[in-house]
Amino acid sequence: MKRRMMGDAALVAMAAGLLMSGAGVDVARAAAVSKDAAVHIPGAAVTRRLSPSQYEATIRDVFGPTVTLGGRFEPEVRRDGLLAIGQGYVSVTSTGMQQYEAMSRAIAAQVIDERHRDIVIPCKPADAKTADDACAAMFLGKVGRALYGRPLTKDELGTQVVASNMAAKELKDFYQGMWLSLASMLASPEFLFREEKLKAKADKNGWYDLEPYAKASKLSFFLWNARPDAQLLTATEKGELDNARGLKKQVDRLMASPRFEEGLRAFFTDMYGLDELDTMTKDAVIYPKFDSRIAADAKEQTLRTVMNVVLEQNGDYRDIFVTPKTYLTRRLGAIYGVPIVNDAANGAPEQWQAYEFAKDDPRVGIVSHMSFLALHSPPGRSSPTLRGKALREVMMCQKVPAPPAAVEFKIVQDTSNPDYKTARARLTVHATNPVCAGCHKIIDPLGLALENFDGTGAYRLTENGVPIDTSGALNGVSFNNAAGLGKAMHDSPATADCVLNRLVSYGLGRLPAKGETEWVKALGKGFADDGYRVRDLVRAIATDPAFYKASGPSVPAEAKPEKSQAAN
Amino acid sequence: MAAQTQSYVVNWFAGAAYTQDDNCPGGINPGLDIQFARELKSVGMDAKEVEKLIGWYLSNTHQFEVDTAIRFRGRYQGKPVNAFNNPQTVPDPKLKYVTGKYGYGFNLDGKGQDDPKAFVDPQTQEKGIDNQLFRAMGCLEGFRGSLVNHPTYWYWIWQTIRDSQPAWLVTVSGEDLKKDGPVTITFDRALEYMISNNGGEARADVTYRVDPDPRSHNVFQGEIKNGVATVTEHKNFQMLQNSWGVPELNLHNFHLRMTVNPDRSMEAIIGGYQPWHHLYFAFAHGGLSREISSGSIPGIYYLLKQQADAEPNPKTGSNSAISAAYHIKAVPAFIATEPSSVAGAPAPGRSPAGGQR
Repeated sequence: MKRRMMGDAALVAMAAGLLMSGAGVDVARAAAVSKDAAVHIPGAAVTRRLSPSQYEATIRDVFGPTVTLGGRFEPEVRRDGLLAIGQGYVSVTSTGMQQYEAMSRAIAAQVIDERHRDIVIPCKPADAKTADDACAAMFLGKVGRALYGRPLTKDELGTQVVASNMAAKELKDFYQGMWLSLASMLASPEFLFREEKLKAKADKNGWYDLEPYAKASKLSFFLWNARPDAQLLTATEKGELDNARGLKKQVDRLMASPRFEEGLRAFFTDMYGLDELDTMTKDAVIYPKFDSRIAADAKEQTLRTVMNVVLEQNGDYRDIFVTPKTYLTRRLGAIYGVPIVNDAANGAPEQWQAYEFAKDDPRVGIVSHMSFLALHSPPGRSSPTLRGKALREVMMCQKVPAPPAAVEFKIVQDTSNPDYKTARARLTVHATNPVCAGCHKIIDPLGLALENFDGTGAYRLTENGVPIDTSGALNGVSFNNAAGLGKAMHDSPATADCVLNRLVSYGLGRLPAKGETEWVKALGKGFADDGYRVRDLVRAIATDPAFYKASGPSVPAEAKPEKSQAAN
Repeated sequence: MAAQTQSYVVNWFAGAAYTQDDNCPGGINPGLDIQFARELKSVGMDAKEVEKLIGWYLSNTHQFEVDTAIRFRGRYQGKPVNAFNNPQTVPDPKLKYVTGKYGYGFNLDGKGQDDPKAFVDPQTQEKGIDNQLFRAMGCLEGFRGSLVNHPTYWYWIWQTIRDSQPAWLVTVSGEDLKKDGPVTITFDRALEYMISNNGGEARADVTYRVDPDPRSHNVFQGEIKNGVATVTEHKNFQMLQNSWGVPELNLHNFHLRMTVNPDRSMEAIIGGYQPWHHLYFAFAHGGLSREISSGSIPGIYYLLKQQADAEPNPKTGSNSAISAAYHIKAVPAFIATEPSSVAGAPAPGRSPAGGQR
């Protein structure tokens, strides 16, 4: 009980210190310098809450894969197309803090249990029934460095050691002292948030470089979606990130690691909204093949396909819209109507099989994957409008206005109307309303090309017995089916621009500021010149000093502009 | 390989029942409490003791005592014995059997309408149908039903075994499966269990590998006529199933008729002469729980023995096989005999093999 009260006190005090913070633009300074467009004017530094995957990865990295979290995360917020930007706009609610605190206690309890303590704690106390300054400092210093992505300050470490010693003496248990300090560190804002701290002195233009550990953290989260590892922290301590050669060496090392794939997966999961598949539901009567397991497979299929193009093949990003190659499980094979054989034993996890659709098959590219088709469909039907909107917004970063209020959707939603048997017929009637026609004109021709795929992505030739017309057009380019749409997407400059803007925003944690336009343009030129290779683009961003500059410290969320000006 | 191949995974297996209100003389067999009471008395148990046991049975108390008394209601040289394993140790309770006109199946013995014991098939109106299994079991409550309203017993069996036994596969091959002509019909067992949808029915278009075990490999020549596929050679049929259902389904003089529904699913009646001892011990295997869903196990023994109509034992003269018909339903599947050879049931508009692995 005493331990609990002490823990609560420490944790609550820390919780009270949490601040909302996030991105912003130093508007005044930008306005003053923007006369010269060639001058790089960075945006503000950003403080972001760790995403669930980042939290999980950090715990796994520091304590090993057998330590479980024992709690739930607050919902994430998508902003300007990315959760990574939303992370700069969120705080922690009191309920969320309770969850963090519960997780911190659960994790700390596992770390000190007999199964883990000898593996995770690098020393043994002289007497396990009381405090041990040296061992406590060694453990808390080591683990604090890994959790915060920087060495603890003398004061921070001293406070933690004193707190743990007090608890150890009071409870007559060294490990209970460790539990207390570790739990408080896991619930502290230093761990739960990533703050981009700046160097004290500005450069000659008046802009600030990130402080070395913040730089290492930005790099590591960008490439691995995780806090810096020991090697990166050591390189940071040695000042290696301050010079281009040292930075390049670390970028090369991180990109050569298998964990680079984890980083890229996190980015594409965010960009394509694949996290939403975790909670997607379908009408089980209409789509009996759908279940949560196949939704997870659908997400993995798209990630494997994208990884194959951009990472394994180091190919042209735009090929993701035209590739007939993918990876399937038996369950996905059942949705796609193709045979998938594997050797997994009954009850064992399904194996993935490489699969290539036939040349004349309309199922090419990731927009013909179940992940896209099902995610952008209501639970009981397909929706050319939702799909078209997603193609514009998710794949081409174009903004589609929200529908006006008080619009009648009945005709569009009634798939059993004998007068309008296909989605095209229903939408044609709906679009006679001039208020609706403007937007439908730009989204429906794209979505209708995917009408050969039902609400889960299964292939079909007819709807209500009527042959489906999948013709459409994108920016004046006409096509007859999904394969044609994929080719048009591949050839549209918007898709390459979109991944460029999303990747830069993902790394920055905010949209590029006005003064960063030229920098992004230059990155785009390099991206195009290099054959739209995402690897090269990532490297270009990660090794560019501009990526690590800020106009000033982050500003509170309420001071941030509501609407962004970039990323059209 | 034939020009067209259509494959299926079996989604339902049951005795083919055609229950009518008046097909059992004087109604169906009594409930278990009455049946147990009769049988316990018939082996000499005191009436008051029987009344007490049945009271416990109905109030679901003293389960051990009830279970023991019922399980060991057989008597051999005056001592209790397991009545399920030794059904002859209980006097024949003389359960009722079907006397109605209709029953699904096939004219196995070729006697046609000259056969006085035969049914008329309600689907084909063919006379001389031999399905003594339906006749034997059709007045037990758990076996009553139809092809649409599934008999409780078979529903229970299928729900129990479907997700934990290798799936059954059926393949039809021919030049043009939409036209009349010769076909080859193959039954195999899969290496994988059936994959189900949320509702429990088999998921369509899943790929299964064929178990190379010859004990579950059956190839029959057949034909399609007016949209119905039948086998034209009536060899023996053998499939391993599940000890909870029928450990090994053997049908001699195998017959089949199969149709494809508009939703691409398949439905078939299969039949032949089945060794009835196999069948009996499959029922007896479940003991009391099987009685609850099917009726008196020793009573079933006597029914099967009485209604068996084929393959007389040369020594005893009693028939060792009973004519039977089963109802199967199936959904399209892909079947791989080896990794490079995949036979398919393509979705509309898709080429069978789709692409490359």
